[in-house]
This record gives sequence, C-alpha cells and structure tokens, in this order.
Amino acid sequence: MSTPVLRTEKVTQRFGGLVAVNSVDMQVNKGEIVGIIGPNGAGKTTLFNCITGQYTPTEGKIYFHDKDITGMTPYEITELGMCRTFQNIKLFPHMTIMENAMVGAHTRIKENLWDVWFHTKAYKKAEKEAEERARKALELTGLTENPYYYGTDLPYGKQRRLEIARAIASDPEILMFDEPAAGMNEGETADLTGFIREIRDLGYTILLIEHDMRLVMNLCDRIYVLDHGNLIATGKPEEIKQNPLVIEAYLGKKA
Amino acid sequence: MFKKITTAWALHRRAAMIVALIVLIIYPFLFSNQYLVTVATLGGVYSILAMSLNLISGYMGITSLGHAAFWGVGAYTAALLSTKLGWPFLLTLLAACIVSLIFGVLLGLPTLRLSGRYLTIVTLAFCEIIKTVETNWRSLTNGASGIVGIPKPEIFGYTFSSPKQIYFMVLVLCAITYILISRLMDSRLGRGITAVRDDYIAAQAMGIKDSRYKIMAFVISAALAGVAGGFYAHYMSFISPLNFSFDYSTLILSMIIIGGLGNLTGSVIGALLLTILPEALRPIMEWRQVIYGALLVVVILCKPTGILGNVNLKHIRQRVLFDRKKENEGKKDEEGEVKA
Repeated sequence: MSTPVLRTEKVTQRFGGLVAVNSVDMQVNKGEIVGIIGPNGAGKTTLFNCITGQYTPTEGKIYFHDKDITGMTPYEITELGMCRTFQNIKLFPHMTIMENAMVGAHTRIKENLWDVWFHTKAYKKAEKEAEERARKALELTGLTENPYYYGTDLPYGKQRRLEIARAIASDPEILMFDEPAAGMNEGETADLTGFIREIRDLGYTILLIEHDMRLVMNLCDRIYVLDHGNLIATGKPEEIKQNPLVIEAYLGKKA
Repeated sequence: MFKKITTAWALHRRAAMIVALIVLIIYPFLFSNQYLVTVATLGGVYSILAMSLNLISGYMGITSLGHAAFWGVGAYTAALLSTKLGWPFLLTLLAACIVSLIFGVLLGLPTLRLSGRYLTIVTLAFCEIIKTVETNWRSLTNGASGIVGIPKPEIFGYTFSSPKQIYFMVLVLCAITYILISRLMDSRLGRGITAVRDDYIAAQAMGIKDSRYKIMAFVISAALAGVAGGFYAHYMSFISPLNFSFDYSTLILSMIIIGGLGNLTGSVIGALLLTILPEALRPIMEWRQVIYGALLVVVILCKPTGILGNVNLKHIRQRVLFDRKKENEGKKDEEGEVKA
C-alpha cells in the first residue's frame, strides 16, 4: 500500500462523561477517497473536528505525513495543507464569490501592513496571485458566471461548490468534506459524485463524511464505519455493505 | 432610486472623489464666516474618529462604546508632553498615536475571550476607567479643571493658527485616515478581518489567525483615534475629562450607525451630519434633543443599516463591469454568427 498522508492513532474525544470518539485508528493514503459513515451521533463530525484542529483530542495522536499535528490550531493545519468544508455551509456573506475564494488563498500569499498601505510591488503581486488561485478554483468548480455577486446569493448546490472552491484555493493536499451532499436532490448528488471524482483525479486526497449511501458506495475507495464513537468496520464499499455489524448499527438487531 | 445612485457612484468613483475633494478645498473660501470653517474642522475630527471606529464596529463587527477613551488618551498624551516637556507638535502627535496604540492592545486582549454584548460592556468600562483616571490623577492631569494653554500646531516653525489653516490640516488627516483604512480593507488583511467578522470558525478553517486580526483592528483604530485626540488637544488648546466621556463614545457610535456600518464615506457623512445638525438647530435650543431623537428613529425605521450600510462600491463596480463585458462579448458573437 502507498504511504499514509493522514493517520490517527487511538484518537479519543470525551465530553465530560460522554465518549464521542473512542480510540479510533484510521489512515488515509495518497490519492484515495475515504469515507466516514455511521448513524446520527456516531462521532463522525467530532472525529473530523479533531483532525482539523477545532477540538484537541483527549487522547491519541494525529499525524499528517510524519508530522504530529495533535492539538494544532485550525489555521496551522490549513497552512500545512488540509482544508475542510462544513456540514452547514459557512460562506462569508459580506464577500463576493471571488473574495470568498480569495480567502481560501489566504495562507498562500503574504502581505504586511506596509505593502498594503503603500501598494508596493509585493502587494500587487500577492493580490494578483490570490485572484489567480481563486479564478482557477472557481473554474474548476464550474462557477464561471459573474463572480462579483455575493456568495450567499447563489443557489444552494452552487454555494456548496463555492465552499469547495474556497478549500481548493488553499492548495491543500487533503480535502475534507463534511456531508457534501446534505440537502441536495438526486440530480445534484450525482453531479457532486462526478465532480469529487474529477478533483481526485487532479491529485487531491479526499476524506469525507456522508449520510447519502449511494454517494458513499459509488465514490469511496475505502470506508470507515463509526457507531457510538467506536470504529466497527473498515474496508471497501462491497465489504461494508455485507458486514453484519454495519447492518446492525443502521437497522438494529434481528428480533 | 438608491440603487441607481450607488451604481452611478460606483462607476464614476474617481470623478466623485475629485469633485468631493474640490468642494472640500474651496469650502473655507466660500464663506467669510469663520464659524462655519470651525464647525467643519470639528466635523473633520469626528470624521477621523468615526472612520476609525468603523474599523472595529463596522468591519470587525465589535460594538465598541469605548472609542472616546482612545481619543482622550491621545489628547492627554499630546497635551501633557507639549505643556510639561515642551515637545514639538509632530512628536506629540506621534506619541499620542503610540500611546493610544498601546491602549488599543490592552482593550484588544479581552476580545479574544469575550464576544457580543459582554465585550461591549468591557469597552464601556474601559471608557469609564480612562475618564476616572483623567479626572482623579490630579498631579498629572490637573483633574476636572483640565489642561490649558496647549500650543497651537506648529510644523517646522510654521504655526497653524487661523481657522483655515487648521481646517486644511484636519482635511489632510482625514484623507490619510480614509486611505489607510480603505487600503487595509482592500487587501488580504481586510479580507481576514471581514472573514473573522462573518464567520470566525470558517475563517480559522481557511488559515486565518482570528486573534491576530481582532487585535490588529483594535490597534489601528486606537492609533488613528489617538492622532485625532492629539490634533484636537492642540487645536482646542484646552481639554478636560468631560470632552472624552461616555457621551462622546455613543455620539461617535451614532455617527457610524446613521452613516452605515462598513462604509467609510457613510462614516464621514454621519459625522458631518451629527456635527452640523446640533449647530444648525441652535436657534431652537429646546427642540434639539427631540429632533435629534426623531432623526435616529427615522433612519432606523427607513434604512436600518444606515445611509450607506454595507454598500460596497468596489463590488458594485466589478459586478456591473463584468456584466457589461459579457454583454459586449455576446453581441460580438452574434454579429460574428450573422456574418458567417
């Protein structure tokens, strides 16, 4: 197998007496699409938040390549090359589509106050680069109409694409999607499936949480299944479909 | 109607700017009445304060009731350095800027832990603390009777004493403030500030160190208010703690709310409106507060976001130009097809 880009080692997250994520080991290899699934409250998003730095895990370690990133802040992790989207779309309402995408390039350009106030060459170069990165990301995500409207004016499916564009503009190695198909109809979901595959082919590694089984089964190379914070199964989609533990977690025990 | 005006303005932004500048430059020569020039100068000081508060309350989204404190810190710094140590004007102005900046860091620190109205209460307390210190540290500040005899601004032997000279000085300071803040907001740093205001969790996930941007907004805003204070002290040549009380914090906040949060021109309009109005209403003294209150209610009812709230000329301009460009291309394509 190829080298892991991301690896978690016995990650545990407790909230008081509640164990949201219990000793989870997982790894994501380069160029893979990995899915995390599980019933509501299984700890998927918590695990995600641990990886992206929103939470510091109570126990365990997280490695990006061979670097220990446990307890790093979200912005440090983004700078290293991991960028996420959110389950409930989080765009910046006072920014245009273009600016939203330009924020993605935030960590990739450098400007200080002096540059900004005196419009130095460095400022012009950095702004141009940010715009260039943003434009590329927008083209990639198919947001080619007028990019100077506000991001929140877009229809729902496109808002999600914009969120993905914003993440892509940060030039990440791993893209992390938290329920990318939430609230989408079948047509939109099918579009999204094709689209995620396309960006994988461009060389991004993808880790996603999803409820939509069709999307997960069609798309993912490997799947991790969480239930009540425990990792109950892992494997290829076909294996997961037949795993009795998974069926039990989703549908309950046979009477 | 409003949309038409803002669109036209956005498309001819440079022309509008030049016209405004010309009006502002010939203004003091239009009237022989020096009083009108003095009112405009005061309007200029408030414009600087309003624009700098807009950085915190408009762009950063933190309602601050402590802005007059920065103004006061700047004014006292300049006043004390020039009356007690005899420092020249430019140096006292710089010192006012730096000391206010340090207080900006101090008030910026709680923003990292608090938000919303809790933070607003802290800024209110900050304003009261500064005023109390100004009033009670008699040996240094001369208490409630204030500091008198602050020399008029003087640069390299040239004294700014006539109302006209002072007016032009404040005009330059206003222009500098405007340029600094508008350039700041039109950059990576400005996008960071807007992102933190709009959604700090998403901002962090995009690699934005939110704490740094909050402190930066406070520091820059405080430094600019400090400069306004330093200038004010030299211009009035008398200051007392009453000049920088909580009432003035609310006044500056009203200015940016009426003018519109998140728009610098709006801040200037709000500042001028609330400086000119009380003067214009002087003949009907008793009705002043009534009219003042009615105006606030009317603005809040008719346009809750203020006159120019969240109107971003750059966005409007980019949007319209992009649509036009597309239209033109579409026409060319059609012509091409017809010819083919």
